[in-house]
Amino acid sequence: MALDNQKINQLLQSFRANPYRIFVVVTPHTGYLREFLVKEGDEVKGPAGKWLEKPGSPLFVLERERNPKTIRAKASGQVAKINWELQGRFVEAFTPVLEIKHTLTQKEIIAELLRKILHIVTAPEKARYFLSPELAQKIEKAGEGRVVVKPGDELAIMSFMKRETPIVHEGPPMVVFRVFFARGQMVDQGEPLFGLCLEEERPYVEKLIARVKEEWPT
Amino acid sequence: MKERVLVANRGEIALRIMEACERLGLDYVAVYTPGDEQSLHVRLPRAKGKPCYRISSYRDANDILAVADEAKCTAIHPGYGFFSEDFRFARRVVKRNNPLIFIGPRWEVIRDLGHKLNVKKLAYDLNIPVIPGTINPVYNELEAEAKAEELFLWQEERGLEPPRILIKAAAGGGGMGIEEVDELDMVRPVFRRIRAYAKRLFGDDGVVIEVCIRDYHHLEVQLLGNQFGELVHFGTRNCTIQSIGRQKRIEIAPGFDPNYTTYPFEAERVLKDIISHSLKLAAHVGYDSVGTWEWLVTRDGRAYLMEVNTRIQVENEISARISRIKGREPNLIEEQIRVAFGERLGYRQEDITFEGTSIEFRLIAEDTKKGFKPLSGVIKRFHFPNYEWLRVRTHVPQDEPYRIPTEFDPNLALGIVWGRDTFEAERRGFKFLEETVIEGQTAKGEPLRTNIDYLKEKLPEILKFL
Amino acid sequence: MRELQRYLHDLIDRVIYLQDIKGENWQGCALLLDELQKLKEDFYQISEAKCQEKLESLENRLKILEDRAAAALTPYEIVKITRHPQRFTLLDILENVYDSYTELGGEGDINVDPAVICARAVISRRVGDKVFLHQVIVIGHEKGHGEEFRNGGSAKPWGNEKALRYMRVAETEGIPIHFYIFTPGAYPIEDYPGAAQQIARNLYFMSKLKVPTVAFISEGGSGGAEAIGLADIRLMASRGYYSVISPEGAAAIEGKLKEGERPSRELLEFCARQLKITAEDNLRLGTIDRIVPEPPLGARRYDYQFFKRLRYEMIRATDEVILRTKSLKAFRSYALKRKSEEENPPDEFDIYVRWELSEVEIEKLLDLRSKKYRAMSRHVLGLSKRCLKDYFEKTQDVGLRLYHDLRYGLLKQGQRVIQRMIEDLSGEGAAFLKQLTEPIKSAYDLLASKPRRTRAKVVAEETALIDLPELYVSPLALEDRTVTCPNAETHGCPDIWVPDLYGEFCGVCPNCGYHFPLEYQWYLSNIFDAKSVKEFNEDIEAGNPLGFEGYDKKLALAKKRTGRNSGIITFQARIGGISLICAMLIADFRQGTVGVAEGEKFIQACDRARITKRPFLAFVHTTGGIRIHEGTLGVVQMPRCTMAVREYIDAGGLYLVVYDNNSYAGPVASFLGCSPYQFAIRSTRIGFAGPRVIRETTGEDVPPDYHSAENALRRGHIQGIWDRRELRKKLYEAFLSMGGKNLYYR
Repeated sequence: MALDNQKINQLLQSFRANPYRIFVVVTPHTGYLREFLVKEGDEVKGPAGKWLEKPGSPLFVLERERNPKTIRAKASGQVAKINWELQGRFVEAFTPVLEIKHTLTQKEIIAELLRKILHIVTAPEKARYFLSPELAQKIEKAGEGRVVVKPGDELAIMSFMKRETPIVHEGPPMVVFRVFFARGQMVDQGEPLFGLCLEEERPYVEKLIARVKEEWPT
Repeated sequence: MKERVLVANRGEIALRIMEACERLGLDYVAVYTPGDEQSLHVRLPRAKGKPCYRISSYRDANDILAVADEAKCTAIHPGYGFFSEDFRFARRVVKRNNPLIFIGPRWEVIRDLGHKLNVKKLAYDLNIPVIPGTINPVYNELEAEAKAEELFLWQEERGLEPPRILIKAAAGGGGMGIEEVDELDMVRPVFRRIRAYAKRLFGDDGVVIEVCIRDYHHLEVQLLGNQFGELVHFGTRNCTIQSIGRQKRIEIAPGFDPNYTTYPFEAERVLKDIISHSLKLAAHVGYDSVGTWEWLVTRDGRAYLMEVNTRIQVENEISARISRIKGREPNLIEEQIRVAFGERLGYRQEDITFEGTSIEFRLIAEDTKKGFKPLSGVIKRFHFPNYEWLRVRTHVPQDEPYRIPTEFDPNLALGIVWGRDTFEAERRGFKFLEETVIEGQTAKGEPLRTNIDYLKEKLPEILKFL
Repeated sequence: MRELQRYLHDLIDRVIYLQDIKGENWQGCALLLDELQKLKEDFYQISEAKCQEKLESLENRLKILEDRAAAALTPYEIVKITRHPQRFTLLDILENVYDSYTELGGEGDINVDPAVICARAVISRRVGDKVFLHQVIVIGHEKGHGEEFRNGGSAKPWGNEKALRYMRVAETEGIPIHFYIFTPGAYPIEDYPGAAQQIARNLYFMSKLKVPTVAFISEGGSGGAEAIGLADIRLMASRGYYSVISPEGAAAIEGKLKEGERPSRELLEFCARQLKITAEDNLRLGTIDRIVPEPPLGARRYDYQFFKRLRYEMIRATDEVILRTKSLKAFRSYALKRKSEEENPPDEFDIYVRWELSEVEIEKLLDLRSKKYRAMSRHVLGLSKRCLKDYFEKTQDVGLRLYHDLRYGLLKQGQRVIQRMIEDLSGEGAAFLKQLTEPIKSAYDLLASKPRRTRAKVVAEETALIDLPELYVSPLALEDRTVTCPNAETHGCPDIWVPDLYGEFCGVCPNCGYHFPLEYQWYLSNIFDAKSVKEFNEDIEAGNPLGFEGYDKKLALAKKRTGRNSGIITFQARIGGISLICAMLIADFRQGTVGVAEGEKFIQACDRARITKRPFLAFVHTTGGIRIHEGTLGVVQMPRCTMAVREYIDAGGLYLVVYDNNSYAGPVASFLGCSPYQFAIRSTRIGFAGPRVIRETTGEDVPPDYHSAENALRRGHIQGIWDRRELRKKLYEAFLSMGGKNLYYR
């Protein structure tokens, strides 16, 4: 096990003390920031609905080439630090516009916890990653946390500098407990791709998840 | 009104465009993506107080045009890659409410010459030799087989053994959707496969069948035209030394040198032919910018037109290095910008003379022993010598570490040497490669490899049919 | 004592029933109920005699109220009667109208769909002292007096599939079918076989079902009703309703209500009144044949008098269907006799009619059915004689057919010879012809003119399907701006420059292939050969046959804005030289909804295609369903048009349906969904009911891509998805490779 009980307790303690994350909302591209649709202190919602079909709360309007686009919140939380002087101005791509102080949900706390306690396969390069088709199929059938990979099994395909390189599992057979990236997502070097654990560790991890679920009810 | 050019590209070509603008007395504006912030193409203009805009991607036409408007630009230089051969972009630039000058050919020309099959058809109509095969997409199997049979026969008659054909997606390119076939029975299954592939990938299931040409040199003709119908050439180049992914590594101007090596054909005549054929096609379409006509020349001295590149090319400078307009060396990017702004050439073909040989080396972070695998990492030390016969084009800073962005090809620098003859150019090439130092580290902490050793190894092979 | 108690309970039931229909406190109903309830509480405290007296007086008051209520029933109140849990259901009918029955494929909730009942039943007729037994198949909806699992008589797709299965059984065995329609509408889900597609299949089958069919409507909820409603005679209960949409549904649309918002009673009454849903209305409109009288406030489950009447009516109707196929004279005298009995039908019949048909009679039966539906609703168009004559006057019809037979029948033989020649030549003709991605012409050229072993040269040009010389460019393209693809979030599509998108890209996102909607003119100009489109029947005009209040204005606006008279364009055109007939429902005119005019134009186009042996293309630019403002006159376009389609397909044609944008409800559930060749242009949505209606009826949310073309294909509703940019080529290929043998170019 990567972490002992005490450290896990410390981790949980830190979530209790600071159950927030700050999301900086940046402009996705250049354009004129026509209008702010929120003010500081407003509560905003991220995409919702069973299929995330309900879009997040509108934050501001960015217009480029006569195409006004409403930029919406991707996470729920409280709006802070609005960069008011951008109003009406031409902004470059990736300019910070405002912040959303987001209270971690149960699911997110679990995800963060798992990043800390599982055996993590990290991204070797900043690149786009795709789940290997065989693994994707197995996970779809059996579910996350139920598929065992043996050494030499292909985990993912890295699309890097226009080439595709397989990422292969090394070490003892392990359970794929979590996949941390979406299909074709650009992942920074060193960021986690997979969270694995030994077959015998699984009950322990599951117990831990149950504990978090108890403490942070949805 | 003072003209202002938006440099819609990155790396060394962006720098060369800026340099050309300065020499022509034009203002310019740079764009960059976050991964390129350290690049000289951002640092240099910024130091000179030129506006630099952060955009989401070099491939986002909307960002580029929005910046162009905001920065009050009057023209856009697309460089090479990205939007340089995108006729839709060129069309949008000139057709929008606030039209700008597109520094490149008319969009109609880009469209017509951008389609390989269309070039083939045009060339065929003008009696310019093209690779034997279909000039229209084939859609049915019977016809494909009949055509393949003809092409096998054609090769047998010429004693080309073993006969081989290529079946490829009409809409394809860059080595995708292409297969070699050496027996008639394989034609149908391969045809079906390629057709399905083309349909899936390009949305058009048209297929082309051609003779598979092996054992050839890759030659290029550099042309320049303008809207007044003036048309000149700047000689030829030889770009035969390529990676296995068919990417150029060493280019030489001129295309053949009978004083350097012997050819099994009359080299001067071949060069003259491909130049005159290229000029014929260019005149036919009213070519109005810089452009490159690519040719295959086989061991028996036959030349086939492959395609036309309607843009400035990486290797443009070696042509400039051996050319003299009324005795002075031209700058092809300057010429390209001048004609885009509607200027006359001010010289004719007779005014252009040629002198010496120029070689360009592409310095790239790649593992040439492992299939030219591109590498990324941080360049810690970058040093090259300083000679009057040498020019190095690079966006990589020499004064601070440089992280290679992973979204692009890891091209680091171009080294361009010149010699009074090919022998001298070759010697100087070795000297340049010997004295250049690139040191760095990969993400895993291993030393960063480059292709310098490969370039040294290949240098003796230039211009030769081995 | 017991009796008195029952009397009391009966009265309470009656008041509550009255309240249910007229409203809680209608004319002091509540007071009456209070008094009855009090009596119930004090039942054991007061004497029997006093109680009896009290009850009688209360009953008198109730009686007066009931009479008053019956005298002034509004259409919406009739709807409430029809839906009341105390109303008779199909099982009550099976118990009381038929002498014995065996339910097939279901037993209560152990059932593929408890909302649909199929049964083998015996109905008896007394003639003198003899009793004759008739075998029938009974198919209908079961509302189940509030049993949840019956789903209120909303048939699931597989329930309608079950119905179809037993129609086939009836046909095999040659016995009549009695349909009983008790449905608020079909259950709007897309799971295989799909609500719309299955209804369409049922209609298609019923249009030529070779046994006599009689339908009885109590609750006729639009498409759900049609699924078992295309019958030779249609009866309707006097307190039933038959409507294109529920008054609540109409209210939501008319009142532009937000989801979850309750319509006001006034609005509901208004809609029910405007929709002309009562039995009298429907009889007047000609969408039903006869009314079966019920007690003034509707028949309930223990109304034995009513069941007796219903038995008489069902036998009489079946007799009539049979006799009509035999001789006109016999039928007339029978009908006359029965007419005179209408007020007071006898218990006995004076004759016995065998419910069996010979081959010739079956043909006659089908012919009569076809005529009946073809004529239905047509009167409202007020078509002049001249117009009638145009294509359908018998003589001309025959003449035209003869001409086309001569012209193409002969030619066809010649072509066969050529075809055989190809086969001989290459031995691969069949394989080649299967593919047919190119005109046959090019195959001839290739095989006939070129010896295989020639000196190689660059291949000469081949004839392919010639692209149109100039692309019609949508006026949408004339603006310098960009738009965002709806898939940008998920597929990372860059913003698209509008002139590119609506010009060269044909409205297709180059990154993800999403198809932006385009106007119908684009298709007219870019799919068919240049200048080949010749419209016909453009003056047949959509009207307001029900006199729906406020609709005249909307209709006039639609006509003015589009410059068209109806939501359908019918025309003759060519694709790659192949001449075809096309009917195009367009979004611009009232969302491509179908009313009488649209139905009529569709049928005329279909018939024209049949007579001239042209392939027939139904291009659905958009259809929002049956036009609700035309009520059941609109609904009957479903059986009508399906009838025409069936006759066209049976004649050996090629009926091709292409969906674009949005296609929902009635048309999909009938004349579109019955095509064996249905294709969708990418990014279209196809289905029975929209997400809101599904949520409101099933209480379940549906995923955003529920109606996507991909899902329709996955469920087997359509045969393929086409790219708009390839539509012309795909259609051309389809004309060559699909359809029956009776096309002019075969």
